[in-house]
Amino acid sequence: MNRLSIFTRGLIKENAVLVLMIGLCPALATSGTVRDGFGMGIAATFVLLFSNIIISMMRKIIPNEVRIPIFILIISTFVTIIDYFMQAFQPDLYRALGVFVPLIVVNCMILGRAEAYASKNSVFSSALDGLGVGLGFTLTLTVMGAIREILGNGTLLGMTIFGEGFKNAPVIFLILPPGAFLVIGVLKALLNKYYK
Amino acid sequence: MISTRSMVITLLVVAIVCSVVLSFVYSYTAPRIEDTQKELTLAGLREVIKANVFTAVVPDTVWEAMDSANNLVGIVFRVFPQGYGGPIPIMVGLDLEGSITGIRIASAAEGLKETPGLGVKITEPDFRGQFIGKTLENVLIRKDGGDIDAITAATISSRAVCNGIKQGIEKFASYLCPPFDKCRIFPGAQDFAKIIPEILWYALKDNDTLGIVFVGTVQGYAGQIKFIVGITDKTEITGIEILSSNETPGIGEAIRDKVFLNSFKDKIPDAITGATISSRALIDGVKSKIEEYKGYLK
Amino acid sequence: MKNPALIFLAAFLVNNIVLMRFLGLCPFFGVSNAVETATGMGMAVIFVMTLASWITWIVYHGILMPFGLVFLRTAVFILTIASLVQLVEMFMKKAYRTLYNALGIYLPLITTNCAILGVTFLNIDNKFSFLNGTIFAIGTGLGFMVVMITFAAIRERLDLAPINPSLKGYPISFIAASLMALAFLGFSGLFGLT
Repeated sequence: MNRLSIFTRGLIKENAVLVLMIGLCPALATSGTVRDGFGMGIAATFVLLFSNIIISMMRKIIPNEVRIPIFILIISTFVTIIDYFMQAFQPDLYRALGVFVPLIVVNCMILGRAEAYASKNSVFSSALDGLGVGLGFTLTLTVMGAIREILGNGTLLGMTIFGEGFKNAPVIFLILPPGAFLVIGVLKALLNKYYK
Repeated sequence: MISTRSMVITLLVVAIVCSVVLSFVYSYTAPRIEDTQKELTLAGLREVIKANVFTAVVPDTVWEAMDSANNLVGIVFRVFPQGYGGPIPIMVGLDLEGSITGIRIASAAEGLKETPGLGVKITEPDFRGQFIGKTLENVLIRKDGGDIDAITAATISSRAVCNGIKQGIEKFASYLCPPFDKCRIFPGAQDFAKIIPEILWYALKDNDTLGIVFVGTVQGYAGQIKFIVGITDKTEITGIEILSSNETPGIGEAIRDKVFLNSFKDKIPDAITGATISSRALIDGVKSKIEEYKGYLK
Repeated sequence: MKNPALIFLAAFLVNNIVLMRFLGLCPFFGVSNAVETATGMGMAVIFVMTLASWITWIVYHGILMPFGLVFLRTAVFILTIASLVQLVEMFMKKAYRTLYNALGIYLPLITTNCAILGVTFLNIDNKFSFLNGTIFAIGTGLGFMVVMITFAAIRERLDLAPINPSLKGYPISFIAASLMALAFLGFSGLFGLT
C-alpha cells in the first residue's frame, strides 16, 4: 500500500467517528461550535501523531506482555502535555473543552491505532497513519461543529451568520445534547446512503 | 522469552522518562498559565471600574481599586450565584458610595452554562448596562421590587444575577473602607481615628481631618433610637444612618426612610407628619450632638 | 451541592452520564443490543466505577497532592483503572464465567470507557469528599446502567421494525438516543438541580 493511501484512508474510508464508530464521546460533546470541534480534533491529532511516532520508534524494544501499560504511559504523557499547553496558551478553549482534554487518553482511536498499526510499522508510515486518522477525526468534528453552530446558534466562529433575527431564535435544540445525537445520526445515515 | 525482570525494568524506565518529561512541561507552562490567568483577571477588573492599580484583599474574590495617586476609588468583587445551567461568574465594581460602576459576566466561551439564546443574554451590554449606578436598594429585578428589567423568558438567569450581586454587596461592601459603617457615612475618608471609643471619630484623609463621625442615642416614642452621623468641618452632614430603633412599624419607623435621611445632607429637615414624636426626637438628638461635638471640628 | 441525596439525583438523572455528559458512549452503543448483556455490563461498570473512584481519590489526596505531583494525574488515574479492570477481568473469569463470556471483548474495553475516567476526574474537579465521591460514582453508574437497559430494550424492538436501509443500525440508534436525551433534558431543574 502506497504512502499516500495510508494517509487518506483515515480521512474518509476509515473515518474514526463515522465509519469505525470510535471516539464518539468527544465527537458529540465538543462539537457544539466549530472552534471547540476543531480545537478538540487538533488536540487529539497531536496526541495521536506523536504517540504513534514514539511507539513506532520503540516498537522493537517494548516487551509484548507489558505493551498496553507502556502505550498508555506514552499516550497519557502527550495528553498531559497538550493539557498544560492549552491551559497556558488557549485558556478559553481549555475551559470550553473541560474534562474532555484529559479524556483524550481513553479515546479508543489513539490506543487502537497504537496497537493495530504503530507497534508494527515504520515511523514514517505510523506518522502518516496518525495524521490521516487524526485529521479525519478533526474533519468530522469540525463539520458537526459547523452544522450545530450555524443552525443552533446563528454564528460561525462567533460571527453572526444569518443576522440578528435568526440569532435571537436559532434551533437551540442542536446545541443541546439531543441535537448532537441527531446530527451524528443524520450524518451517518447520509454516509450510509451515498458512500458505499 | 522476555524475563519478568526486563519487563519491569522497561516499564519503570518508560514511567520515569515520562514523569521527567512531564515535570519539565509543567514547570515550563505553570508560570505562563498563572500569567495568563492574571492578565485575564486584570482585564476583567478594568472592565468594571476605572482604576489604575488593583490589590487583592481576598484572593480571587475582592480587590481594592486605586487611582494613580493611590487613593481608593472602590472595590471589585466576584460572585458565582447558581443560575439556570450552572454557576454564573460575575465581577462587580463598586464605588465608595456603594453604587455599581459596572459588571462583567463570563461568556459562554469562558464557561457560562446558561441556555444559549436565552439565559446567555445576561452577558449582553444592554442587560449589564442597567446595573451601573444601582445600589443595594434597587439592584433586584422589577418583579422582586428592584429596578432591573429581567430578560424576557430568562427570568431565572436574570434573577440569579441580581440576587447574587445583592448578596455580594451585602457581604463585601465593608471592604470599601474599613469600617464600612463609618465609611458609608463619610465617603471620601480613608481612615477614622478614635476620639471617644464607640462614640466619636475623626474622619481622616492623608493625615488631614475632614470632619467627624459620631454615634448618638436619643429616647424616641417606643424606645431608644441609635444613630450615626458624619459632619464636615463646615458642619455639613455627609451621611446619617439609623443603627437601631424600635419605633412603631409603619409610623415611627418612617425615620428609617432613605429619602428622609438623605435630606439631612441638604439641611436638617422638619419632622415627618404622622411620625412627629419619633422624627422630632431624632432631629433634636442630631442637633444636640452636633452642638456637643462642635468643638472637635476645625 | 453538598447534600448526598442531591448529588445522587444529579448524577443519576439530571446530569445523566450518557445522555447529558456524553461519557460512556462507545459501550453504550456497542453493548446495548440485548437487555441481558446491557445489564451485565452495567453492573460491571458500577462496580469498577465505584472502586476506581475510591482508589483514585485516595491516590490523589494521599500522594499526588501532598507531593506536588498533580501533573501526573492523567497518567496515574488511567493506569490505576487499567490495572483495576485487569483484576476484575481475572476475577470474573473464575467466578462468573458465563457473564465473562457474554461480555467478551467489552470487558477490557471498560478501561477505555471514558465514563470511568471521567467520573474520577469529576470527583476531583467538583472537590468531592470521599463519601460524596462514592455517592457520585454509584449514582453515575446506576444512571449509566438504567439508560443502557432502556436503550437495549428499544433497540431490540428497532431491530424488528421496518426501517429505511440507510437509517438501519447506527443512524436510527442515534436518533432514538436523541429522543431519550430530549426526555432526560426535562429533568433539568428537578429539585433545583441544574
